[in-house]
Amino acid sequence: MAITSIKNLKEFSTNNDRFEGAHTLCPGCAHSMIVRELMNCTDDNLVIASNTGCLEVSTAVYPFTSWDTSWIHIGFENAATAVTAAQVMHKVRKKKGNLKDNDAPVKFVAFGGDGSTFDIGFQWLSGAMERQHDFTYICLDNENYANTGGQRSSATPVGATTSTSVAGTHSYGKKEKKKDIVAIMAAHGSPYVAQLAPNKWKSMAKGFQKALETEGPCFINTVSPCCTEWKFDPKDTVGLADLATDSLMFPIYEIVNGHELNILYRPKNPIPVEEYMAAQGRYKHLFKPEYRHIIDQVQADVDKTWEMLQRREEARI
Amino acid sequence: MAEKFDLNEREVWDGNYAASQALRQADVDVVVAYPITPSTPIVENYGAYVGNGYINGEFVMVESEHAAMSGCIGASAAGGRVSTATSSQGFALMVEVLYQASGMRLPIVLNVVNRALAAPLNVRGDHADMYLGRDSGWIQFGAFNAQEAYDLALCAFKVAEDHRVRLPVMVHQDGFITSHTAQNVYPLSDEVAYNFVGDIVPVDDMLDFSRPVTYGAQTEEDWHFEHKAKQHKALMDSREVIDEVFAEFEKISGRKYNRVETYDMEDAEVALVGLGTTVETARVAAKELRKEKGIKAGVVAIRCFRPFPLDEVRDALEGVKSIAVTDRSSPGGAMGAFYNEVAAAMATSKSRPMVTNYIYGLGGRDLSIENCKEIFQDQKANADAGHITTDIQQFTGLRGPKLGFFKTARG
Amino acid sequence: MSVESQDLNLCANDKRGKHQLGAGAGLVGWDEVTQGIVLTSFDGDASDIAHKKAEERNYSEFNSYTASVASWRVQKPVFNRDICIDCQNCWVWCPDTSIISRDKQMLGIDYDHCKGCEVCVEVCPTNPKSLLMFNEHADLDESLAAWPEKKKKEKK
Repeated sequence: MAITSIKNLKEFSTNNDRFEGAHTLCPGCAHSMIVRELMNCTDDNLVIASNTGCLEVSTAVYPFTSWDTSWIHIGFENAATAVTAAQVMHKVRKKKGNLKDNDAPVKFVAFGGDGSTFDIGFQWLSGAMERQHDFTYICLDNENYANTGGQRSSATPVGATTSTSVAGTHSYGKKEKKKDIVAIMAAHGSPYVAQLAPNKWKSMAKGFQKALETEGPCFINTVSPCCTEWKFDPKDTVGLADLATDSLMFPIYEIVNGHELNILYRPKNPIPVEEYMAAQGRYKHLFKPEYRHIIDQVQADVDKTWEMLQRREEARI
Repeated sequence: MAEKFDLNEREVWDGNYAASQALRQADVDVVVAYPITPSTPIVENYGAYVGNGYINGEFVMVESEHAAMSGCIGASAAGGRVSTATSSQGFALMVEVLYQASGMRLPIVLNVVNRALAAPLNVRGDHADMYLGRDSGWIQFGAFNAQEAYDLALCAFKVAEDHRVRLPVMVHQDGFITSHTAQNVYPLSDEVAYNFVGDIVPVDDMLDFSRPVTYGAQTEEDWHFEHKAKQHKALMDSREVIDEVFAEFEKISGRKYNRVETYDMEDAEVALVGLGTTVETARVAAKELRKEKGIKAGVVAIRCFRPFPLDEVRDALEGVKSIAVTDRSSPGGAMGAFYNEVAAAMATSKSRPMVTNYIYGLGGRDLSIENCKEIFQDQKANADAGHITTDIQQFTGLRGPKLGFFKTARG
Repeated sequence: MSVESQDLNLCANDKRGKHQLGAGAGLVGWDEVTQGIVLTSFDGDASDIAHKKAEERNYSEFNSYTASVASWRVQKPVFNRDICIDCQNCWVWCPDTSIISRDKQMLGIDYDHCKGCEVCVEVCPTNPKSLLMFNEHADLDESLAAWPEKKKKEKK
């Protein structure tokens, strides 16, 4: 069995890392926490593709690679296509019996940031999901184009300032709501989609394992707090993820076979979104009295989404 | 085992069907494709071979040409034989990833059925798409008819996958005139064809887990130049392998290909240099002119557009007095790109002939035998006068007032 | 508390951290760069790599394991084994694969790959913490000697 046991963290920690250090991600970056968990939760062979983005430019800068598995990067948009075509080739070569080890289990995984997932690679991802390839796509959602200096993406939340949704004397930052990527991916008929967070390591690792073990196209959106662009101290990355999940800005849940919604983390006492926002520089301007209504609006949206998720969980539809 | 596909010694195929048969006989593992006129039947046919058990590969129809080439890259890095086809706008959408395929040294074979680029939208043949690929680091072969589309596709796999080369190859044929005209084609038997192409031997195989590989690393100013230089060297060095493969192909088929083809050039005083179906028209015109007017006309055709055979083109044209280089692509404010390359070759010749440029055939406009004769006669006039007597660049087969640019400083 | 437990080469493969990133080391000519920009992660047969610990692996020169980012640090985390409960929080959340755990035990820090982000300190649940930040050049014994006492629970 390729999925390794993760009953507790001690047991999990006996797995050997396949994602090496001396990559050049920012200190405290959540991307590598997420990637490490994915690679550590299985001992299967992996073929991984990455879209252009922070992860890609930091882990394969010639002449170094941080990947102990097969890895490919082509462009900003096409990791899903590349890895699924590799999976098709695997199928053909296995059938023809010309693989070096014909029986070795192998999993196909694509990583993309929110820019490449929600925006520029959206069509490529949608195509790969629709074709029902057996692969897992993981979005490292830090809600902006961090690699190019922090521009707005369609994952950027309302009220955040970015270099292209600038908060100033006449603006409170991004005005448009974040795209609901999980629902869109579930609507592709995916057998497993989820939203997970690195602070909840166990549900994340189990979600990754489910996705890897599920036949067909699986999609996982992961919260990846970005100290550089969200503007918080690098040491607080896990704490920021705690605020994100406890405020329900990032509810943690999965949808199995398009209808079975399970909430994977239910904060006993959800904290106000204000508390989550206050911990980050990108929302600083919202704490002026004239923008109070924006915070209230975000809170109302979060409450509504949480209500919807709970009802869907109950209704099983 | 795949089902047996019955073939006659002589088949009547169009260029698309011929190319798809080459994919079947090469036992291509994965075709990742998106349909576009006029290349669509190539991949449709491959899909039908899969559907009917004539091949053990997989056909993946994706959602765009960009994804088609992206998929070809992923599949090729996973160690098997990969091919696809496209034209025009689809080719344009692929361009980003064409550079990635060659940079990663992946032996993909792309069948390009040449078609004009919009605007205005047009589905007919010209060479705008082919020219768009000329700096992409791919080997580019030109087929002038259906037989050649078949033959060169088989050669393309053998060249691309040769470990001394490891570069992707395009096989070009002209939209409709070649792709949709039924012609006699003499196919090889499945066995002979496959044995010629041979098994693919993977290099840096992503599915060899005893040796994990990283594809697509980033290089900045300290490494990028060396990588691009190495890639260019490989492309230049592929000339020798191409010659070898063409020689080997002659042995099994009796059909001889050269990177530069010459027709009636032994004593030629004037010459037309062309690409694609134009070549066959020009050959007829040259022969007729020799009979009718005693003009010593010859034709030089480029079989291998990339790597560009500068020395062989020069040698083929050495001693000719006036040369017409024909460009079937809107030149966009310059001399035709092909003209520039041939003119550069002739600048290194001993005889330094006159070189003129003819823009023709855009969007599938027919180039007639008469058009070719006029071009030859212009060259003859130049040869007699000792200088270029027309505009250096002229448009041929165009309605409206005569259109031309630039005068010679000689004469 | 012994100095040995803070061995700078703890569980290190002899190739670990010997290259400096971006230092222009190893620059070669066009004829020597790898074909197709491809990088191999290991030398020799790496079939069973998931079951091998770092110190048992035959890393290639291209593996970033052989590079160091130690120069990024201004402060370094220091590990105090006497307090550690081996919860592995630091292991799971370290973004730089720099917490060295073997057989469910936290052993120490890989100072070639640690960037000094302080996440490990932040997620450490013991009281006092088993990991604390010190100046990059602080002496280990002095750091351990300066370790704070157990804090009384603050009222929230």
